[in-house]
Amino acid sequence: MPPRLRLIALRQFPTRPALQFRIQLQRRFTSSSAAPPEIYDVACVGGGPAGLSLLTGLRNSKITSGLKVALIEGQDLHKNRLPKHASLDGFSNRCSSLTPASVKNLEEIGAWSHASRPRIQPYQEMQPTTIAYMIENTNITTTLLSRLSELGGVDIFSPQKVDSISLGTETPSLDLSSWPIIALSSGKTLAARLLVGADGANSPVRTFAGIPSRGFDYNRHGVVASLKLSGPGWGGPDHKIAYQRFLPTGPIAMLPLPGNSASLVWSTTPERAAVLKSLPEHDFVAMVNAGFRLSVTDLEHLHTMPSGQVEEVAWREKATPIDARSIPQPVTAVQSGTVASFPLKLRHADTYTGERVALVGDAAHTIHPLAGQGLNQGQGDAAALVSTIEQAVLTGQDIGSVLALEGYNSERYAANNAMLGVCDKLHRLYSVESGPVVGLRSWGLKAVDAMGPLKGFFMSRAAGGA
Amino acid sequence: MNPLRHTFINRCQTTTPRPKEYPALPDKLRYLDIGCGGGIFAESAARLPNTLSVTAIDPTPEVLKIAEGHRRRDPKLIEEGRLTYLNTSIEGLPVPSQETEKYDIVTLFEVLEHVNAPRPFLESILPHVKPGGWLVLSTIARTWTSWVVTNVMAEDVLGIVPKGTHEWRKYVNEQELRDWFGKREGWGGVGAVKAMGVVYVPALGWKEVPGGEGWGNYFFAVRKDF
Repeated sequence: MPPRLRLIALRQFPTRPALQFRIQLQRRFTSSSAAPPEIYDVACVGGGPAGLSLLTGLRNSKITSGLKVALIEGQDLHKNRLPKHASLDGFSNRCSSLTPASVKNLEEIGAWSHASRPRIQPYQEMQPTTIAYMIENTNITTTLLSRLSELGGVDIFSPQKVDSISLGTETPSLDLSSWPIIALSSGKTLAARLLVGADGANSPVRTFAGIPSRGFDYNRHGVVASLKLSGPGWGGPDHKIAYQRFLPTGPIAMLPLPGNSASLVWSTTPERAAVLKSLPEHDFVAMVNAGFRLSVTDLEHLHTMPSGQVEEVAWREKATPIDARSIPQPVTAVQSGTVASFPLKLRHADTYTGERVALVGDAAHTIHPLAGQGLNQGQGDAAALVSTIEQAVLTGQDIGSVLALEGYNSERYAANNAMLGVCDKLHRLYSVESGPVVGLRSWGLKAVDAMGPLKGFFMSRAAGGA
Repeated sequence: MNPLRHTFINRCQTTTPRPKEYPALPDKLRYLDIGCGGGIFAESAARLPNTLSVTAIDPTPEVLKIAEGHRRRDPKLIEEGRLTYLNTSIEGLPVPSQETEKYDIVTLFEVLEHVNAPRPFLESILPHVKPGGWLVLSTIARTWTSWVVTNVMAEDVLGIVPKGTHEWRKYVNEQELRDWFGKREGWGGVGAVKAMGVVYVPALGWKEVPGGEGWGNYFFAVRKDF
């Protein structure tokens, strides 16, 4: 894809307009024989939960349903759909904890009723009310796609890659020089009044817009797996609990799924993640059980063993007093092929909007998974962008103009920045291995558990507070 | 300021009682924007889904050139008949012979305060409004606060507008407009006179202030009787 490479190189130097102009001219000549681009009000690149939620919201709203919208997705959206009667024995290893605020939004855009409910697990902690819903990401996207096809009116380009994004051209009658032109792998071109980047952490749309994204890598990996426990949980099938233990290498979390199933997210060093992934299944199971039961020193030793963890953990557990009901029920099996890992990062785009560009979801921010907020932030972005576009349509503004998009950026940037910061500080507080902070840490953990201000922060965000 | 114009127009149409014989708002509206300048309002009106057409006039050729250039950036606005710019004064615009060719919404934003003789000027606008249509304007009250803000602060102290832009004596008060239309047959019946005060808040933009029509910038609208 040489055009895109050129574009990326170009956009790294946004302060050199002369270069940009020359390249634009060149592009104009090379594409002069092609058909004119098809004009859209909103073109969304990326068919993940954030992009689909945005488009569903736009199609669902009476105010914005007159807009001409397109979805561009590199993968085959229909091939990745959750089968209608998928067995409840197995679950995807990519799950999310949907907050009540996200669920409320999905209800408002008419999508929630399309969800496969037997595959969703509400959980309650120690309170009678549901604090969140564990759901497979594929269930979310399938849900949104069902609602979208019910609403209709979206031109879906899938599977199609974005070959390049460039600015349009000027003719005596029409000046598209501020309009992004998206060239697809099929050869088709789209002109977007508003180009939405819902295209993930390495967002090509963000690169096109020249918006820097700053942050750092945690030097940690999140190990995920789909697990079977010895029972449905200590509270029975109707009162599920999510567990998280903060280890110096990062938190290990066990999140409830329907029946005896559970979803694991274990944040740890890349080296330990590699060990965990290489273990035979029964040893992996023993390690997860150890992660909630044994001491930090025990775990350190267990990670040096290539195999044989089953016997070692059983022996060490005998010497470790535990309160069985304060930790998850023992893991009995891991679903084959579900152990995987991904690197943990913190990233935040400098802004979510530019001339005819808006970023949502991971294209705008990447967060530490310890509070399960990433996907919910994307849902919040989508809902906020829909209401910003509604306002713009009602007042006749050009929905791609910086002025019209201002409200979206100011509403979401501060909220997401606060959440990114809190999760980052939590990670830091719990990952220090020596010094006075370690003593403070156990106090800090208790404070979080005892409904301290921090827990209050998460709970209010989860319920939809600002 | 521009979004507030639509908020106000929308409020006029939806919160004023309509006679029984004309219960429904028209599906598609015809706009006439007088003194359109660079076309900020005209463009936004032309983008609204329930707009049939916008005719935007200004006597200054230079600003219309800017408006025409800007319009080309939006394919929707170059659709046939959606937005027409005319280089004319309102006095030079022929009054449509058919009632159906008159306008549902005639707008006059930030113009009245620059006009030497507001009464004959307003007289020349009225025939363009359709029965049941609205004349909507925004201007600034002639009070000591407006004198300080527009002449002293904006021109002398801050210099954000050229000196001599405002002639405070020319400002028209909301009550004066209300009285003028009150004496007129066929205008503002059944309470179809609306006003809304607005104020510029630094960093927040233009905001509505209840009662602001008495002392500062305000919107005023009156409906031609059916």
